[in-house]
Amino acid sequence: MGKQMNNSCYLGIDVGSISTNCVVITPEGEVLCEIYKRGDGHPIESVQQCLAQLTAQLPDRFCIRGVCTTGSGRILAGAVVGADVIKNEISAHARATLHLYPEVRTIFEIGGQDSKVTIVRDGVVVDFSMNLVCAAGTGSFLDSQARRLNITIEELSARAMMSETPTNIAGRCTVFAESDMIHKQQVGHEQKDITMGLCHALVRNYLSNVCNGKEIKPPIVFQGGVSANKGIHRAFKEALRCDIIIPPYNMVMGAYGAAIIASKSCIEKTNFRGKEASTKPIITKGFECGDCPNCCEIIEVLNAAEIIGRTGGRCGKWEGKTGPRESLRGTGPKGHVSVPSTGMEMGHEICRQVDDVPDLIQIGVPKK
Amino acid sequence: MTYMAIPNIGNYTIALATAVESLGINAWASTATTPAALKLGIDAAPESVCLPLKAHLGHFIEADRAGVEYAFMVNSVGTCRLRYYRHMIGQILKDLGLKIKIFGLGFDGFKPPIVRHFDPGPITFIKPLFHTVQKIKVIDELEVAAWRTRAIEITHGDTTQVMNKLLVELSESKTMAQTRAIRKKAAGCFADIPVDKEKKPLKVGLVGEISFLRDKCLNKNIEYILGSQGIELRNFFLLGEELQNITRIVFLNQSRRKSLSKLADRYLQNSVGGHALDSVAYSIHCADEGYDGMIHLCPSGCMPEVSVRPILKRVSKDKNIPILEMSYDEHTCSVGIATRLEAFADVLMERRKKNSSTAQRGKRAGHG
Repeated sequence: MGKQMNNSCYLGIDVGSISTNCVVITPEGEVLCEIYKRGDGHPIESVQQCLAQLTAQLPDRFCIRGVCTTGSGRILAGAVVGADVIKNEISAHARATLHLYPEVRTIFEIGGQDSKVTIVRDGVVVDFSMNLVCAAGTGSFLDSQARRLNITIEELSARAMMSETPTNIAGRCTVFAESDMIHKQQVGHEQKDITMGLCHALVRNYLSNVCNGKEIKPPIVFQGGVSANKGIHRAFKEALRCDIIIPPYNMVMGAYGAAIIASKSCIEKTNFRGKEASTKPIITKGFECGDCPNCCEIIEVLNAAEIIGRTGGRCGKWEGKTGPRESLRGTGPKGHVSVPSTGMEMGHEICRQVDDVPDLIQIGVPKK
Repeated sequence: MTYMAIPNIGNYTIALATAVESLGINAWASTATTPAALKLGIDAAPESVCLPLKAHLGHFIEADRAGVEYAFMVNSVGTCRLRYYRHMIGQILKDLGLKIKIFGLGFDGFKPPIVRHFDPGPITFIKPLFHTVQKIKVIDELEVAAWRTRAIEITHGDTTQVMNKLLVELSESKTMAQTRAIRKKAAGCFADIPVDKEKKPLKVGLVGEISFLRDKCLNKNIEYILGSQGIELRNFFLLGEELQNITRIVFLNQSRRKSLSKLADRYLQNSVGGHALDSVAYSIHCADEGYDGMIHLCPSGCMPEVSVRPILKRVSKDKNIPILEMSYDEHTCSVGIATRLEAFADVLMERRKKNSSTAQRGKRAGHG
């Protein structure tokens, strides 16, 4: 028994917009292996490749006893690997940071398309905020600007550090930032100054949009994919005039937090599909439900011919069910009808049939 | 058969349909905007108007396509732009070349134009009107019961099913006696749902713009998401209450609004339009009542609700109650909403744990 305990470990998977990360930890929270993989629009393959890499790295004696997925692709990834816990990324990130820095009071997390700030007081998350409708303060912004300058993101980071007199760049919007950068280039500013100016613009944008109205108190921990960028780190330090901590697993903190959550969830028997999840080809198939006017696009996750999960529905009749499609059809909430509907379980319509209307749209109802 | 399209105000549409029947015509309605209707509205409306207008507009366009001749749009009593929305919707429909005729609620002379147009007999008119008020009250009660029960139900979906069933019955009820019977039965139906009585669910208040509070399609089914996470809700828009409020303004010149403005006086002395004052007042009220948190639903571009956002931040700080700001527009994706809500629930749970542990420690120290 004791031996088995020593060999147990927990897996956290973070499927974000830009990268897929995996972390395996011991029950005490020590990291056994970490994987950061930039995705290319194929989340399932990315997860599988991560798992394959992980199996290769992890010594054979370890056995995964629990899996937690997080990130925007958490539900799909959960279906693919057989997750025990599915957790939102805000909580996962905070959990990891609090594990490493119990005294932290502010967490900055900038990822591919999301940027978040989490306010912690006395070891408890008290507030958080997430960028609303604009991605100007995120990794994608940097990516697109680096592409515009025709340099890699790593180069951008290195060049920014060389700058002594950063240029002022308009950072409210990627499009304006780009035209401003072109203008500054034409005027003759040096590229290193422009890149540092870009970092300042991003930080300014982040602080004024995402952190708007939040009390930013040190110690501040900065994590997420963008935290690898030294220029941004420097810009934060200059803007806030205090030290910004970059944690050891800064790129994979979400996955680390997920792994910690898995290890604390008292999982008796894991649903993890093991090696099989990484080797068998997994495909997804979409179909339109059509049981109600919402016409949800349901995604079926298939392992060969076997359905291992479904996502995309809104009423709960498809979510996570693995039975044959026909057996689930029409099992939606009763009183659900042929028109304007919520599609959700609360759905209920009171439309009546309009007679003698040429086949425009089908409306109406009397339920049942 | 003549049909009239009525705007969505969630489940209350059922009662409004009865009101329309008082004019001797049939109602064409649904309890939530369909995604298809929303799309029609988004295409037809100016880009910068708020989402509720687009939803209503889309609903009327859909109605017109189905051959409905008349539509009816509410006017706001407050100073929100909703007041002009009927004219705006009317104009857009006209510009699109649609034939649907849209009525408002204005008075000019003894009878409102809508009543004058259809000119129902006094008996056909008065009786359904009373029935409408009765139905609104019953729906108020059903909503409150559902919010409470959903948080503690043992099998997910039970409450929703009961609620759906009762709403369907209610929409079919033709006489006041039938409605009374449904009301009597409802208490038993909710009591029969197996619940976990020991559970002390988190209590969260929902404030903000009314279409968002009521329309499940617009708010991405927030009531259901929160309820299934074990959160007891209090949605601060109940039409019955609102109706009392309005009639009192008209007849007695005293209203609940007065007590609300008294409550909010320290922060906001003016009704800034819409239900913004209510949002502030109820947040203060909930903080005093010991709610765990508040959620503020705000369509981006909604003038009244946007103007109280900074005030709510202040309330949150002064009264030590977390307030989650949710901003919605047509690009809002449900994944982002779910992530925020889940994280918010985690925050509230941790706060509660911490508060109870400090309270216990205080007690122990007191004994010592």
